[in-house]
Amino acid sequence: MLLGVAALLGVTGLWWHRAAQPVELTLYFHPFVGPEPLVFNEARYPNPGGEGRFKVRDFQFFLSNIRLIGADATYAEPDSYHLVRFDGAEPVFVIVLQGVPRRDYERIEFGIGVDAAANKSLAQRGDLDPNGRMAWAWEVGYKFVLFEGALLRGNVSEPLLYHVGFDESYTPLSTGLHGDPLDSRPAQLDFRVDILRLFQGSTTIDMTALSTVKFDRADAALLAGNFPGMIAPMESDVAGHAAAPR
Amino acid sequence: MSGFSAPFVFGHFQVPADNPLTREAVELGRRLFYDPRLSANGAVSCSTCHIQRLAFTDGRATGVGVSGKPLAFNSMSLANLMWGPQHFFWNGRAATLEAQALIPIQHADEMAQDLGRLVAQLDADPAYRDLFEAAYGEISPATIARALASFERTLISSNSRYDQFLRGAIKLDAQEELGRKLFMAHPDVKVSLRGANCIDCHSQFLTGGFSARYDGFSNNGLDDEEHLQPGLQAVTGNPAHRGLFKVPSLRNVALTAPYMHDGRFKTLEAVLDHYDSGINNSLTLSSVIVEADNRGQAAAGRISLHLTADEKAAIIAFLHTLTDQDFVSAERFSDPFQRN
Repeated sequence: MLLGVAALLGVTGLWWHRAAQPVELTLYFHPFVGPEPLVFNEARYPNPGGEGRFKVRDFQFFLSNIRLIGADATYAEPDSYHLVRFDGAEPVFVIVLQGVPRRDYERIEFGIGVDAAANKSLAQRGDLDPNGRMAWAWEVGYKFVLFEGALLRGNVSEPLLYHVGFDESYTPLSTGLHGDPLDSRPAQLDFRVDILRLFQGSTTIDMTALSTVKFDRADAALLAGNFPGMIAPMESDVAGHAAAPR
Repeated sequence: MSGFSAPFVFGHFQVPADNPLTREAVELGRRLFYDPRLSANGAVSCSTCHIQRLAFTDGRATGVGVSGKPLAFNSMSLANLMWGPQHFFWNGRAATLEAQALIPIQHADEMAQDLGRLVAQLDADPAYRDLFEAAYGEISPATIARALASFERTLISSNSRYDQFLRGAIKLDAQEELGRKLFMAHPDVKVSLRGANCIDCHSQFLTGGFSARYDGFSNNGLDDEEHLQPGLQAVTGNPAHRGLFKVPSLRNVALTAPYMHDGRFKTLEAVLDHYDSGINNSLTLSSVIVEADNRGQAAAGRISLHLTADEKAAIIAFLHTLTDQDFVSAERFSDPFQRN
């Protein structure tokens, strides 16, 4: 009897301990161009709206305000501004959410770009840097998505330069969580970042007709309208974590 | 260390945990910086190639050290080193100021000093023994490097007319203001925005390269494919980095001629002419240079900004607002041996 109570207390204690311990949740972002994993500097991807093949020299974007939402709990990452890029040693971008309380979360939210308040601020929060590559002049704010490359038609190379910003381009996204990602060991979520979808979504872009987007707000809105398709959840077993750093 | 400050707009900076910035370390570093005992022939100090009144450059196309042979690279200005790319030398081969400091001392053409011999020489000098004791407790190559790095971290230029403008203390004149606007804009014909796209590589407040990863390195069209030097590729092994060099700070740029990693341009006018109409194409040429054209003809072949003569003059007028007389005359950065 005494032993039984002790065992019960022990189990309950363990349960409380587990529930109280915040966990680390790792987000992996895997770059693709359509069905293929991204390869920089090779003109191998067809122009979605016209002739020629394009190559990607540089691609980076801000992912902001990551939150986990449940019926009775919200986790919001502090200073949540990440410059997502794929030019490191591993072809994946990793964000580690620290100290996530163990609760039942139903969806994850984040934005593509920089919210209006941060976009007009000079404060250096997260990866925001007024002296960084993504800063336009301070009167204008940040580039949210930067794509630089070239379009090849025959042996003619034409520069491609898409710098997409402006407050109205900030695009919040929400993705439902299936099961409890905090229960997996290690706790992780995988996302596919499809660069092709920047040019193929609610509007299909012909790169010969629109080879640059900078300060024209209507052009920026065309690409920003395609932001929602750029990031999608991905099954972890498909993501191939053998190559991902931990 | 007290009395140490930098403008908010410069952003975060880090001092290595194993080399805290102390008054003792900075005083020692300043003395070492100006001491010719750091060279094999006792004639060359750091200040031989980094002269304060020239914003710590030397006025030469490329530096000259103990061997008398011209060096491979232009002597870089030393200002605001805690911000911007934390990869030092034109090709980024040193990851910290501490690592950088010992390389010229030992380089056969620069100072050609043996570190063991240098430690012995300093140890024989009671003044240095006291200074090292106070700063670090011992004399070693590592503490020599730490002291030099500490002094260099204090070389902050933040009282130019541009800084005063940013603080709201002064207005720029009309020509300088036109130059500032052109500096800070990538051209976009579609919205009638003229620009010189300087800011595409030189950050708006620091006017130097970007700090994230290798974003602060660029191929700015000096050479064509055939004549491209390795640049950053020598450090990273990445073919996409061929011909990329560190984007320097433009603070005090009116004092730091000649320009570029090999000092090929004698004047700011020559630099502006290069960016306007002298770009050589190559595979790794900066995308923002290829695309920038105030006439919107980038696709048509020849790369050119198509600036007007007045616009080029305005940009040069703005670049002169980056001169900081306090920085180039401050006693705390000057030769301590002359003072004593």
